[in-house]
Amino acid sequence: MIVAERKPLSEIIAKVEGYNRLLIVGCNTCVAVCQAGGEKEVAMLAAALRLRFRDRQPAMEIIERSVERQCEEEFNQVLAEDIAHAEAVLSMACGVGVQTLVEQFPDAIVLPAVNTKFMGRPEERGVWSERCIGCGNCVLDKFGGICPITRCAKSLLNGPCGGSENGRCEVDPENLECAWQLIYDRLARLGQLDRLLEIEPPKDWSTARYGGPRKIVRKDMVL
Amino acid sequence: MGDHQKIVVMACKHSAGEALRELQREGWALPDGVEWVELPCGGSLDELHILRAFEAGAAAVLVLACYHGACRSLDGSRWAEKRVQAIQEMLAEIGIEQDRLEFRNIAPTMPADLASWVEALHRRVLAPAGE
Repeated sequence: MIVAERKPLSEIIAKVEGYNRLLIVGCNTCVAVCQAGGEKEVAMLAAALRLRFRDRQPAMEIIERSVERQCEEEFNQVLAEDIAHAEAVLSMACGVGVQTLVEQFPDAIVLPAVNTKFMGRPEERGVWSERCIGCGNCVLDKFGGICPITRCAKSLLNGPCGGSENGRCEVDPENLECAWQLIYDRLARLGQLDRLLEIEPPKDWSTARYGGPRKIVRKDMVL
Repeated sequence: MGDHQKIVVMACKHSAGEALRELQREGWALPDGVEWVELPCGGSLDELHILRAFEAGAAAVLVLACYHGACRSLDGSRWAEKRVQAIQEMLAEIGIEQDRLEFRNIAPTMPADLASWVEALHRRVLAPAGE
Protein backbone atom coordinates (compact mmCIF):
# COMPACT_ATOMS: atom_id res chain seq x y z
CA MET A 1 0.00 0.00 0.00
CA ILE A 2 0.96 3.64 -0.23
CA VAL A 3 2.26 4.82 3.12
CA ALA A 4 1.93 8.42 4.19
CA GLU A 5 2.07 10.53 7.31
CA ARG A 6 0.27 13.71 8.25
CA LYS A 7 2.18 16.91 7.74
CA PRO A 8 3.05 18.87 10.89
CA LEU A 9 0.03 20.83 12.08
CA SER A 10 2.02 24.06 11.93
CA GLU A 11 2.53 23.56 8.20
CA ILE A 12 -1.15 22.73 7.64
CA ILE A 13 -2.25 25.73 9.70
CA ALA A 14 -0.06 28.04 7.64
CA LYS A 15 -1.61 26.69 4.44
CA VAL A 16 -5.24 27.08 5.50
CA GLU A 17 -5.33 30.13 7.74
CA GLY A 18 -6.27 32.42 4.88
CA TYR A 19 -9.50 30.55 4.17
CA ASN A 20 -12.87 30.64 5.91
CA ARG A 21 -14.57 27.64 4.32
CA LEU A 22 -12.46 24.52 4.34
CA LEU A 23 -13.26 21.03 3.12
CA ILE A 24 -11.11 18.22 4.49
CA VAL A 25 -11.28 15.06 2.40
CA GLY A 26 -9.82 11.77 3.54
CA CYS A 27 -9.29 8.57 1.63
CA ASN A 28 -10.43 5.27 3.10
CA THR A 29 -7.91 3.07 1.36
CA CYS A 30 -4.10 3.13 1.82
CA VAL A 31 -3.83 6.23 3.98
CA ALA A 32 -6.63 4.98 6.21
CA VAL A 33 -4.79 1.71 6.82
CA CYS A 34 -1.59 3.55 7.71
CA GLN A 35 -3.67 5.91 9.84
CA ALA A 36 -2.52 9.06 8.10
CA GLY A 37 -5.58 10.23 6.20
CA GLY A 38 -8.68 8.12 6.75
CA GLU A 39 -12.00 9.10 8.24
CA LYS A 40 -10.67 9.24 11.80
CA GLU A 41 -7.66 11.32 10.84
CA VAL A 42 -9.97 13.74 9.02
CA ALA A 43 -12.02 14.10 12.21
CA MET A 44 -8.90 14.66 14.30
CA LEU A 45 -7.46 17.24 11.93
CA ALA A 46 -10.80 19.03 11.72
CA ALA A 47 -11.06 19.11 15.50
CA ALA A 48 -7.52 20.42 15.83
CA LEU A 49 -8.13 23.17 13.27
CA ARG A 50 -11.41 24.16 14.91
CA LEU A 51 -9.58 24.50 18.20
CA ARG A 52 -6.77 26.46 16.59
CA PHE A 53 -9.13 28.91 14.92
CA ARG A 54 -11.95 28.92 17.46
CA ASP A 55 -11.59 32.56 18.39
CA ARG A 56 -11.61 33.72 14.80
CA GLN A 57 -14.44 35.87 13.49
CA PRO A 58 -16.09 34.88 11.29
CA ALA A 59 -15.66 31.30 12.43
CA MET A 60 -13.87 28.98 10.08
CA GLU A 61 -16.32 26.51 8.55
CA ILE A 62 -14.78 23.06 8.28
CA ILE A 63 -16.55 20.26 6.43
CA GLU A 64 -15.33 16.68 6.89
CA ARG A 65 -15.62 14.09 4.15
CA SER A 66 -13.96 10.84 3.27
CA VAL A 67 -14.18 8.82 0.07
CA GLU A 68 -13.28 5.23 -0.61
CA ARG A 69 -10.51 5.91 -3.13
CA GLN A 70 -9.61 9.50 -3.85
CA CYS A 71 -7.41 8.39 -6.76
CA GLU A 72 -10.50 7.40 -8.78
CA GLU A 73 -12.81 10.10 -10.07
CA GLU A 74 -15.94 7.98 -9.69
CA PHE A 75 -15.56 8.01 -5.92
CA ASN A 76 -15.03 11.76 -5.82
CA GLN A 77 -18.18 12.76 -7.65
CA VAL A 78 -20.06 12.99 -4.35
CA LEU A 79 -17.72 15.80 -3.34
CA ALA A 80 -18.74 18.18 -6.13
CA GLU A 81 -21.17 20.26 -4.08
CA ASP A 82 -18.86 20.55 -1.07
CA ILE A 83 -15.90 21.44 -3.26
CA ALA A 84 -17.91 24.15 -4.97
CA HIS A 85 -18.85 25.54 -1.54
CA ALA A 86 -15.36 25.41 -0.03
CA GLU A 87 -12.70 28.05 -0.54
CA ALA A 88 -10.03 25.38 -0.26
CA VAL A 89 -9.82 21.62 -0.09
CA LEU A 90 -7.40 19.96 2.28
CA SER A 91 -6.77 16.47 0.97
CA MET A 92 -5.55 13.78 3.32
CA ALA A 93 -5.03 11.33 0.47
CA CYS A 94 -1.68 10.46 -1.05
CA GLY A 95 -0.26 12.64 -3.80
CA VAL A 96 -2.22 10.65 -6.35
CA GLY A 97 -5.49 11.47 -4.63
CA VAL A 98 -4.60 15.15 -4.37
CA GLN A 99 -3.84 15.32 -8.08
CA THR A 100 -6.98 13.42 -8.97
CA LEU A 101 -9.02 16.09 -7.20
CA VAL A 102 -7.06 18.79 -9.01
CA GLU A 103 -7.70 17.19 -12.41
CA GLN A 104 -11.32 16.45 -11.63
CA PHE A 105 -12.13 19.84 -10.11
CA PRO A 106 -9.85 22.25 -12.00
CA ASP A 107 -11.21 25.37 -10.28
CA ALA A 108 -10.64 24.06 -6.77
CA ILE A 109 -7.68 24.94 -4.60
CA VAL A 110 -6.49 21.59 -3.31
CA LEU A 111 -3.83 21.43 -0.61
CA PRO A 112 -2.00 18.33 0.59
CA ALA A 113 -2.27 17.50 4.28
CA VAL A 114 -0.08 14.41 4.25
CA ASN A 115 3.37 13.57 2.98
CA THR A 116 3.32 10.52 0.73
CA LYS A 117 6.28 8.40 1.75
CA PHE A 118 6.53 5.05 -0.01
CA MET A 119 4.98 1.76 -1.08
CA GLY A 120 5.33 -0.56 1.86
CA ARG A 121 3.69 -2.74 4.43
CA PRO A 122 3.00 -2.72 8.14
CA GLU A 123 5.69 -4.70 9.97
CA GLU A 124 3.91 -4.41 13.27
CA ARG A 125 1.41 -2.05 14.83
CA GLY A 126 2.59 1.49 14.17
CA VAL A 127 5.58 0.47 12.03
CA TRP A 128 5.56 0.60 8.23
CA SER A 129 8.50 -0.02 5.96
CA GLU A 130 9.25 0.31 2.29
CA ARG A 131 9.14 -2.74 0.05
CA CYS A 132 8.84 -1.49 -3.54
CA ILE A 133 10.06 1.56 -5.41
CA GLY A 134 8.09 0.71 -8.55
CA CYS A 135 11.09 0.26 -10.82
CA GLY A 136 8.86 -1.13 -13.54
CA ASN A 137 10.75 -4.38 -14.07
CA CYS A 138 10.34 -6.72 -11.13
CA VAL A 139 13.35 -8.90 -10.31
CA LEU A 140 12.12 -10.43 -7.06
CA ASP A 141 12.31 -13.93 -8.53
CA LYS A 142 16.09 -13.63 -8.80
CA PHE A 143 16.66 -12.62 -5.21
CA GLY A 144 14.57 -14.97 -3.17
CA GLY A 145 11.65 -12.56 -3.07
CA ILE A 146 13.61 -9.77 -1.38
CA CYS A 147 14.04 -6.61 -3.40
CA PRO A 148 17.65 -5.36 -3.43
CA ILE A 149 16.60 -2.26 -5.32
CA THR A 150 14.27 -1.13 -2.56
CA ARG A 151 15.79 -2.63 0.54
CA CYS A 152 19.49 -2.15 -0.17
CA ALA A 153 20.39 1.47 0.54
CA LYS A 154 22.60 1.38 -2.55
CA SER A 155 20.16 -0.64 -4.67
CA LEU A 156 23.00 -3.06 -5.41
CA LEU A 157 22.19 -5.93 -7.75
CA ASN A 158 25.47 -7.67 -6.98
CA GLY A 159 25.84 -7.27 -3.25
CA PRO A 160 26.59 -7.12 -0.50
CA CYS A 161 28.86 -4.13 -0.19
CA GLY A 162 31.52 -3.72 2.48
CA GLY A 163 29.06 -1.91 4.71
CA SER A 164 27.20 -5.02 5.75
CA GLU A 165 28.02 -5.92 9.33
CA ASN A 166 26.24 -8.45 11.51
CA GLY A 167 23.34 -8.40 9.11
CA ARG A 168 22.87 -4.64 9.43
CA CYS A 169 23.33 -1.86 6.89
CA GLU A 170 26.05 0.73 7.51
CA VAL A 171 23.68 3.51 6.44
CA ASP A 172 21.54 3.01 9.55
CA PRO A 173 22.62 -0.08 11.49
CA GLU A 174 20.00 0.42 14.17
CA ASN A 175 17.03 0.48 11.83
CA LEU A 176 18.12 -1.14 8.57
CA GLU A 177 18.76 -4.77 7.88
CA CYS A 178 21.26 -5.53 5.13
CA ALA A 179 19.08 -6.56 2.20
CA TRP A 180 21.87 -8.75 0.88
CA GLN A 181 22.11 -10.64 4.16
CA LEU A 182 18.36 -11.23 3.90
CA ILE A 183 18.75 -12.37 0.30
CA TYR A 184 21.60 -14.72 1.23
CA ASP A 185 19.65 -16.21 4.14
CA ARG A 186 16.54 -16.64 2.05
CA LEU A 187 18.35 -18.28 -0.88
CA ALA A 188 20.17 -20.58 1.55
CA ARG A 189 16.83 -21.58 3.00
CA LEU A 190 15.51 -22.31 -0.48
CA GLY A 191 18.68 -24.22 -1.46
CA GLN A 192 19.33 -21.69 -4.24
CA LEU A 193 22.63 -20.13 -3.21
CA ASP A 194 24.01 -20.95 -6.66
CA ARG A 195 21.89 -18.04 -7.94
CA LEU A 196 24.35 -15.69 -6.31
CA LEU A 197 27.05 -16.89 -8.70
CA GLU A 198 25.23 -15.18 -11.54
CA ILE A 199 26.41 -11.65 -12.24
CA GLU A 200 23.54 -9.26 -12.72
CA PRO A 201 24.07 -6.82 -15.59
CA PRO A 202 23.41 -3.12 -15.02
CA LYS A 203 19.70 -2.49 -14.63
CA ASP A 204 17.76 -0.75 -17.34
CA TRP A 205 16.27 2.11 -15.38
CA SER A 206 14.22 3.42 -18.29
CA THR A 207 11.25 1.46 -16.91
CA ALA A 208 11.57 3.32 -13.62
CA ARG A 209 10.80 6.94 -12.88
CA TYR A 210 14.02 7.93 -14.62
CA GLY A 211 12.34 7.34 -17.99
CA GLY A 212 9.85 10.11 -17.15
CA PRO A 213 6.28 9.81 -15.86
CA ARG A 214 4.94 6.36 -16.63
CA LYS A 215 1.65 5.30 -18.09
CA ILE A 216 0.01 1.96 -18.80
CA VAL A 217 -2.48 1.65 -21.63
CA ARG A 218 -4.34 -1.64 -21.77
CA LYS A 219 -5.66 -1.86 -25.31
CA ASP A 220 -8.05 -4.63 -24.32
CA MET A 221 -9.67 -2.24 -21.85
CA VAL A 222 -9.91 0.82 -24.09
CA LEU A 223 -12.52 1.35 -26.80
CA MET B 1 -9.26 29.34 27.52
CA GLY B 2 -10.52 31.50 30.34
CA ASP B 3 -14.08 31.57 29.02
CA HIS B 4 -14.55 27.85 29.43
CA GLN B 5 -15.75 26.60 32.76
CA LYS B 6 -15.45 22.88 32.62
CA ILE B 7 -12.97 20.16 33.41
CA VAL B 8 -13.55 16.72 31.94
CA VAL B 9 -12.21 13.70 33.78
CA MET B 10 -12.00 10.55 31.67
CA ALA B 11 -11.58 7.69 34.07
CA CYS B 12 -11.22 3.93 34.05
CA LYS B 13 -14.10 2.47 36.03
CA HIS B 14 -11.94 -0.24 37.61
CA SER B 15 -9.53 2.12 39.34
CA ALA B 16 -10.59 5.75 39.25
CA GLY B 17 -14.27 4.80 39.27
CA GLU B 18 -13.84 2.76 42.44
CA ALA B 19 -11.81 5.53 44.05
CA LEU B 20 -14.52 8.06 43.22
CA ARG B 21 -17.23 5.86 44.70
CA GLU B 22 -15.22 5.53 47.89
CA LEU B 23 -14.94 9.30 48.07
CA GLN B 24 -18.65 9.70 47.48
CA ARG B 25 -19.41 7.25 50.29
CA GLU B 26 -17.38 9.56 52.51
CA GLY B 27 -19.44 12.54 51.38
CA TRP B 28 -17.00 14.07 48.91
CA ALA B 29 -18.44 15.48 45.70
CA LEU B 30 -16.84 16.54 42.46
CA PRO B 31 -16.28 20.31 42.41
CA ASP B 32 -18.61 22.40 40.27
CA GLY B 33 -17.63 22.33 36.64
CA VAL B 34 -16.00 18.92 36.77
CA GLU B 35 -17.59 16.39 34.44
CA TRP B 36 -16.83 12.73 35.10
CA VAL B 37 -16.78 10.39 32.10
CA GLU B 38 -16.32 6.77 33.10
CA LEU B 39 -14.57 4.45 30.69
CA PRO B 40 -14.79 0.64 30.66
CA CYS B 41 -10.98 0.68 30.42
CA GLY B 42 -8.28 3.28 29.82
CA GLY B 43 -7.65 1.47 26.56
CA SER B 44 -11.06 2.50 25.28
CA LEU B 45 -9.98 6.13 25.33
CA ASP B 46 -9.70 7.51 21.83
CA GLU B 47 -7.75 10.59 20.81
CA LEU B 48 -10.95 12.01 19.39
CA HIS B 49 -12.67 11.78 22.79
CA ILE B 50 -10.09 14.22 24.14
CA LEU B 51 -10.25 16.58 21.18
CA ARG B 52 -14.04 16.57 21.27
CA ALA B 53 -13.96 17.46 24.96
CA PHE B 54 -11.79 20.49 24.22
CA GLU B 55 -14.00 21.37 21.25
CA ALA B 56 -17.01 21.22 23.56
CA GLY B 57 -15.41 23.79 25.80
CA ALA B 58 -13.35 21.90 28.32
CA ALA B 59 -10.65 24.04 29.88
CA ALA B 60 -8.75 20.92 30.87
CA VAL B 61 -8.97 17.17 30.57
CA LEU B 62 -7.69 14.71 33.14
CA VAL B 63 -7.26 11.10 32.07
CA LEU B 64 -7.07 8.49 34.81
CA ALA B 65 -6.11 4.89 34.15
CA CYS B 66 -4.81 1.95 36.14
CA TYR B 67 -1.16 1.48 36.92
CA HIS B 68 0.65 -0.25 34.10
CA GLY B 69 0.60 -3.92 34.91
CA ALA B 70 -2.65 -3.64 36.85
CA CYS B 71 -4.87 -3.10 33.82
CA ARG B 72 -7.49 -5.81 33.41
CA SER B 73 -7.13 -5.48 29.67
CA LEU B 74 -3.35 -5.85 30.01
CA ASP B 75 -2.18 -2.76 28.12
CA GLY B 76 -5.20 -0.46 28.30
CA SER B 77 -3.54 2.08 30.56
CA ARG B 78 -0.41 2.13 28.41
CA TRP B 79 -2.50 2.88 25.35
CA ALA B 80 -4.34 5.60 27.24
CA GLU B 81 -1.06 7.25 28.17
CA LYS B 82 0.23 7.00 24.59
CA ARG B 83 -2.92 8.64 23.26
CA VAL B 84 -2.72 11.41 25.83
CA GLN B 85 0.88 12.08 24.83
CA ALA B 86 -0.11 12.23 21.15
CA ILE B 87 -2.81 14.78 21.88
CA GLN B 88 -0.50 16.79 24.13
CA GLU B 89 1.83 17.15 21.17
CA MET B 90 -1.09 18.15 18.98
CA LEU B 91 -2.27 20.72 21.53
CA ALA B 92 1.19 22.25 21.62
CA GLU B 93 1.14 22.58 17.85
CA ILE B 94 -2.18 24.42 17.89
CA GLY B 95 -1.20 26.75 20.69
CA ILE B 96 -2.96 25.18 23.69
CA GLU B 97 -0.89 24.61 26.82
CA GLN B 98 0.03 20.96 27.13
CA ASP B 99 -0.71 20.99 30.85
CA ARG B 100 -4.40 21.42 30.02
CA LEU B 101 -4.30 17.68 29.42
CA GLU B 102 -3.07 15.48 32.26
CA PHE B 103 -2.58 11.76 32.56
CA ARG B 104 -2.30 9.95 35.88
CA ASN B 105 -2.13 6.35 36.95
CA ILE B 106 -4.43 5.47 39.79
CA ALA B 107 -5.54 2.47 41.87
CA PRO B 108 -8.93 1.87 43.50
CA THR B 109 -7.22 2.39 46.87
CA MET B 110 -6.25 5.99 46.07
CA PRO B 111 -9.36 8.10 46.76
CA ALA B 112 -7.37 10.74 48.62
CA ASP B 113 -5.03 11.18 45.66
CA LEU B 114 -7.98 11.43 43.31
CA ALA B 115 -9.58 14.18 45.37
CA SER B 116 -6.32 16.06 45.60
CA TRP B 117 -5.60 15.87 41.85
CA VAL B 118 -9.10 16.99 40.87
CA GLU B 119 -9.12 19.83 43.38
CA ALA B 120 -5.65 20.99 42.32
CA LEU B 121 -6.62 21.01 38.66
CA HIS B 122 -9.84 22.82 39.52
CA ARG B 123 -7.92 25.48 41.44
CA ARG B 124 -5.38 25.89 38.66
CA VAL B 125 -7.75 25.98 35.70
CA LEU B 126 -11.19 27.06 36.86
CA ALA B 127 -10.77 28.96 40.10
CA PRO B 128 -8.70 31.85 38.66
CA ALA B 129 -11.42 32.61 36.14
CA GLY B 130 -14.07 32.56 38.84
CA GLU B 131 -12.22 34.86 41.19
